[in-house]
Parts: sequence; structure tokens; C-alpha cells
Amino acid sequence: MSALYNLLFRNNTAFVGAVFAGAFAFELAYDNGMDKVWDKINKGRQWKDIRHKYVEAEE
Amino acid sequence: MAPVSIVSRAAMRAAAAPARAVRALTTSTALQGSSSSTFESPFKGESKAAKVPDFGKYMSKAPPSTNMLFSYFMVGTMGAITAAGAKSTIQEFLKNMSASADVLAMAKVEVDLNAIPEGKNVIIKWRGKPVFIRHRTPAEIEEANKVNVANLRDPETDADRVKKPEWLVMLGVCTHLGCVPIGEAGDYGGWFCPCHGSHYDISGRIRKGPAPLNLEIPLYEFPEEGKLVIG
Repeated sequence: MSALYNLLFRNNTAFVGAVFAGAFAFELAYDNGMDKVWDKINKGRQWKDIRHKYVEAEE
Repeated sequence: MAPVSIVSRAAMRAAAAPARAVRALTTSTALQGSSSSTFESPFKGESKAAKVPDFGKYMSKAPPSTNMLFSYFMVGTMGAITAAGAKSTIQEFLKNMSASADVLAMAKVEVDLNAIPEGKNVIIKWRGKPVFIRHRTPAEIEEANKVNVANLRDPETDADRVKKPEWLVMLGVCTHLGCVPIGEAGDYGGWFCPCHGSHYDISGRIRKGPAPLNLEIPLYEFPEEGKLVIG
């Protein structure tokens, strides 16, 4: 506990750095997660889901 | 009478002030030392509303380091979410201003130069604007190079305006008010703008009339022989 405190929170530079690193990781995870949710809700209705029905003949 | 009473009141206040300060000091030390559950106001005759209750019951039982860790963790988490949100907002806003896919698809135009005979003009549409392509004859190139650049309104040598001397590529928009000039017309054998009578020479330079600048040259390149890509 206090090791975490000494490592991250005691020094402002480390704290702000940890905040930005956390923001980066959070954004990645959040964006990917929301894309997954969107794809799940719209399953079968997006171009990437129905593409094989139309493009296969040309390839 | 009135001034005297004000002065006397001020004097009394001044005399009372140190005494009050001393009393405040004593009560504050007494508060820290005493184990009484309520804070006693040092002032007489005050209502019960001025009494500060004891919050000891609501204070955290956890050690201070745990509370500190939790507080900083929450501050940091909220900061991270806010930073991610702010970055995303700005990024999406800027993305909104960049060119869309349909615009980018129209951004480049490929022209087959073998279809253009020498001494002919071709007008093509590029990004909603006309582009003049002229396959110039050696005589026209010589004429364009003979012009004394120092006397021009917008001094530019012919070599600055073309990549290959036989191919003149320029935007067909008059630099005056944006009309489309007519090819192979005007006093200088180049282009003539019918709107206000600007004359451009065979290198697209303004020679006579109201236009301030030479006809603009778009970005273009010759990826291979007989091919021209504009954009």
C-alpha cells in the first residue's frame, strides 16, 4: 500500500504521468469495448457482416 | 455630543480587542486538550446554532494512509477519464474538419497525355475546377521563354511554371474574379478572360487586364511517359 503511495502519488510528476498513462490505456480499452458493443448490437446489419454475399463473386 | 460618543465607543473597542484575542487563544487550546464532546463558544448569549457538534462518530476508522491512497486513487482515476474524454473530444472535432472519403477519392485525376496532340488544349475537371492542359509546340515554348520576366506584373520564368516545357498544366480560373478564361485567344496567343478582359500569355502569365496574378499551377507529376496525375 505505502509502496504504491510512494511510487505513484508522492511525486507530482509521477502522479501526472500515471494519470496520462492511465488515460491512454483507458481510452484504448474503452474504444475497443464500445466497438465490440456496437458490433454486437448491429450484428448482421453491417457491411463487413454481409460483404461475403456480394464480393465473393468478383474475387 | 455624537462625535464624543463615537470616539468613546472606539476606545472601548480598542481596549476590549486584546482581551478577546487572549480568550480566543485560550479556548482553542482548551478545545484541543479537553475531551468534551461539543465545542463551547466563547461568546456569551449566543444561540445553540453556533454550537459545533462532534463529528467523531462519522470519522473514518481506517488508518490515514489507506484514506490517502483511496483519495489520490479516485483523483487520479477521474483525471485519467477526463484527460481521455478531452483528447477524444478534440480529436473527433479535428477529424470532422478533415477531408471526407468522397473528397479524397476526387482529389487526384489521371490524364492520358497521348490523346492530346501538339498545339491543342484540353480542359479537365479537378476538384470541381477546370484545369487547362496544353501540349505546347516548340515555337510556343520559345515564345514563352523570350518574354522579359522583369517587365511582368507577376514575374515568373516559364521554367518555374512547367515541369516539362511541352506540357503546361494550370488551373483554369482567372485570378481576377474566378471566371474561366478562353483558350487560344487574347493579344498574347494564350488565354483570354471574357469577364473583364484579362490576357494571359502562352505560359499562363498575366500580361494585360485587371487580373493580379498568373494562372495558378496545381500539384502534378508525370509518373510515367504519357501519363499525368494532377493532385
